[in-house]
Amino acid sequence: MTTPGTGPRPLLTVRDLRTYFRTDAGVARAVDGVSFEVMPRETIGIVGESGCGKSVTSLSIMRLIRPPGTIEPGSVVEFEGRNVLELPEGEMRQIRGNRIAMIFQEPMTSLNPVFTVGEQIAEVARVHAHATRRDARDRAVEMLQLTGIPAPAQRAREYPHQLSGGMRQRVMIAMALVMNPTLLIADEPTTALDVTIQAQILELLQQLQERFAMSIILITHDLGVIAEMAQRVLVMYAGEIVEQASVSELFARPHHPYTEGLLAAMPTLGAARSRLAVIPGTVPAPTRWPAGCRFHDRCRYAWDRPEREHPPLYEVGAAHWSRCFLAEEPARRHPLTDLKAAGGGA
Amino acid sequence: MSRSLLSVRDLVKHFPITRGVFGRTVGAVRAVDGISFDVKEGETLGLVGESGCGKTTAGRAILRLIEPTAGQVTFDGVDVLALDAPRLRALRRRMQIVFQDPFSSLNPRMTVGAIVREGLIIHRLAEGAAAQARVKQLLEEVGLRAEYANRYPHEFSGGQRQRIGIARALAVEPRFIVCDEPVSALDVSVQAQVINLLQDLQRDRGLTYLFIAHDLSVVEHVATRVAVMYLGHIVELAAADDLYAEPLMPYTQALLSAVPIPDPSRRKQRIVLTGDVPSPADPPPGCPFHPRCHHPAKDVACTRIIPPLETKADGHLVACIKQLPTRITWEEQQAAGATMPPERYVPLALATRS
Amino acid sequence: MTVVLWLVAIALAAAVAAAVGRVWARLGAGGGPWGTALSRLQRNAGGMVALRFLIFVASVAIFARWLAPFDPNVQLDIIALASRPPSLAHPFGTDIYSRDVLSRLVHGARISLAVALLAVLLSITVGTAYGAIAGYLGGRVDAVMMRVIDAMLSIPRILVLLAIFALWGRVSLGALVLILGLTGWFSTSRLVRAQVLQLKTEEMVVAARALGARHRRILWRHILPGVTSTVVVAATLGIGNVIILEAGLSFLGVGVQAPTASWGNIIADGSSNVAGMWWMSLFPGLAIVLTVMAFNIIGDALRDALDPREIQPA
Repeated sequence: MTTPGTGPRPLLTVRDLRTYFRTDAGVARAVDGVSFEVMPRETIGIVGESGCGKSVTSLSIMRLIRPPGTIEPGSVVEFEGRNVLELPEGEMRQIRGNRIAMIFQEPMTSLNPVFTVGEQIAEVARVHAHATRRDARDRAVEMLQLTGIPAPAQRAREYPHQLSGGMRQRVMIAMALVMNPTLLIADEPTTALDVTIQAQILELLQQLQERFAMSIILITHDLGVIAEMAQRVLVMYAGEIVEQASVSELFARPHHPYTEGLLAAMPTLGAARSRLAVIPGTVPAPTRWPAGCRFHDRCRYAWDRPEREHPPLYEVGAAHWSRCFLAEEPARRHPLTDLKAAGGGA
Repeated sequence: MSRSLLSVRDLVKHFPITRGVFGRTVGAVRAVDGISFDVKEGETLGLVGESGCGKTTAGRAILRLIEPTAGQVTFDGVDVLALDAPRLRALRRRMQIVFQDPFSSLNPRMTVGAIVREGLIIHRLAEGAAAQARVKQLLEEVGLRAEYANRYPHEFSGGQRQRIGIARALAVEPRFIVCDEPVSALDVSVQAQVINLLQDLQRDRGLTYLFIAHDLSVVEHVATRVAVMYLGHIVELAAADDLYAEPLMPYTQALLSAVPIPDPSRRKQRIVLTGDVPSPADPPPGCPFHPRCHHPAKDVACTRIIPPLETKADGHLVACIKQLPTRITWEEQQAAGATMPPERYVPLALATRS
Repeated sequence: MTVVLWLVAIALAAAVAAAVGRVWARLGAGGGPWGTALSRLQRNAGGMVALRFLIFVASVAIFARWLAPFDPNVQLDIIALASRPPSLAHPFGTDIYSRDVLSRLVHGARISLAVALLAVLLSITVGTAYGAIAGYLGGRVDAVMMRVIDAMLSIPRILVLLAIFALWGRVSLGALVLILGLTGWFSTSRLVRAQVLQLKTEEMVVAARALGARHRRILWRHILPGVTSTVVVAATLGIGNVIILEAGLSFLGVGVQAPTASWGNIIADGSSNVAGMWWMSLFPGLAIVLTVMAFNIIGDALRDALDPREIQPA
């Protein structure tokens, strides 16, 4: 179920990752058996709606899960040949922010309001590269310049609140790339930004990926961003990967009914103005994933089998996997048009 | 379709910037800086723009939830800004609002029934059992179960809460609803449910919408006509089909080209704007967009002349003195230092509707 | 005999506490945001211990007349029974006038609690009204009203009180409540104002205005319910504060006037010989410390239980 590769070795291999939160309301299986690989210099997109487990997946890779969350035994996150889940915390800190870096949706909350942005970028260089104060400061200005911030030397002396949202995200990116990481995890990096600023940041990320030869895991709810940025896509639903394919394959031939529904539910610029297709209902709570196929109660094709049995990932095309029994019983798929007539559920 | 239900003229809202203990005014945030448009009976006018462009302020100023600084708002022949408090309260039956945030817009201490019932009680439309029955009917109309009336908002998902907010607005039987980013806080699958609901209600009840959003795809899907705002000004206003097929304002061109399209086979040209939106407390002189503009004829006249919102094609209004035709004559432009004569510039062959 | 009475008294007070507790538990089971807050409070172990203790103290105060073995103001036998250490007949000893300290403590609970409760009730009413008006009206009115509060808060409360009593001399209990209440609402009004300022811009309030609601309805239905949690917490913490303040004033002889018993003036009665008559300060002192602590613990527990962020689960 992972990318069969005879080519280069993957940079990151996630195998059977399970991250559970034990709460008063029960065990929330936020990430429940996720496996995938990231190749060098590749951009892989993880897409899904709120609560599907995409952010918990990225935090698990960074080992940033806090109690009551735990990464369950048996999970493997292999980065550059080592299972990072078994490393002592001290060695993990050497990887975090150094070999693997992360940027978040809201840069304001990730930046410290009482230090200048220059100091914060320099701090990374001082911690990880033991750079001298002067070298670190020069490095900070250089990074700001790389991220396209005008007058970087002057901006380095400013505080986060003096910058716009787009500038703050550039600062976050500068900070993430100080140590020239091989893997960048970008968790909804443009969701809080306006569309023209989003375009700037996405373009910047593409340029920097080229320059730093790094892999990117891009987490987003926006299929448009995925289509423009990623080479491969993982679609997550209810803590699982339900579909995995190359970008062109996924958008041209979505197999899983959830992916199909998501694409049909999105109003698309320039598309015909017909009634939007609807996925009825809402994402279930992570403490109560439905039995059988976790999507069956919202699925337009559901029959008795997915109510009872949990589907495995089927290979449905070249490097294309889907967690749906339709792979075995394709005759049960009926045309999408009558989906549009179905009204909205709760 | 043709009659104007709402007419807005030169609407201005400046928020004073105050300093010191007793609030000395030292400046103003020009959130809405003189906008004019009509909303026709039964249509959806989309109002799009990026954060800080003044679209939300405009929506609230029209409803007088924020008192406008200047201008004129006429709703169904009534001068809204001239109304005294009791008459304004009475008019609120006809003009409603649906909010973006389905969490903060519902009182967590009231049951869903009490929330939906509130308008009925305020306007004495129904009481007691009749009000109960009406609430149930409204909940069912927005796709919720009648027994939800006894529950509290926190028991519901974002999409369900948004339906509660819609039921609350519908309770007083409005003719016009300001939809202020009604789906931007929702997941894609739920967003489609709410958009469809709003469209069904419009069809069944003959509602007129002012649909405020930053998501251009959503607006294209719901709007009959679209107004684009930038720094407190309307910079382009046209039928949705015309605006999306051939945007004439350089800002709209860039905005449309920036929207990521969920179709990897449709890679398109992109105009990436440089820099950020200037602060509305200190807007640039002349055309508000000139510091980021990519129009080939942009010159110093753009920094001096405030472009009027004028007709460039049938029903297609644009605020740009470099986009032909314009009533700012070349002589006038030259007097303002122009070196580049206006020319028609449409850089994007945007994908036409399939 | 007195010991038996005393035991009966404790049992009675405990029974009342248990009964109140049962009603309480049923309230917590009812849903809604208030029910949720209540059941959260019930899960707070420390808070519940403090609450039981306070119910016990309150029952003692309410039933003081029947619980106290002696009349608190009667000098039993000025020659034989003055200044006696604790004994079976007088478990907390007697004072220099041969009055039974336990009886005075029980009756003193009544005075101390009543004074604190009424004073806080007065101050939160005034404080909430003042703060709500300032916050809701906003602008110049708010600015002026808040500068007044700033001025008031810059004078230490104890100084104001001492000045008042220096001018006034003896005051009745009613006047004492009034004075304590009217000097204690400034910080409450500030808290309320801050919260009202924030609440009035929330979309649910804008929604109510958009529906055509009048100011009165908006204040009562949408703003003040959002302030209750703040006020309840402030009041609970305030009671402890006023108990200490009243005790201090009574100790100085300007609060509750002799011969009426309050926890403060029992200590004052023994202050001439604290070392020799340790029971005169130990028992009322313990009563004050435990009660104030209980109020503070409950205040903190309420703050957690009523946290509005927790009313809306993500």
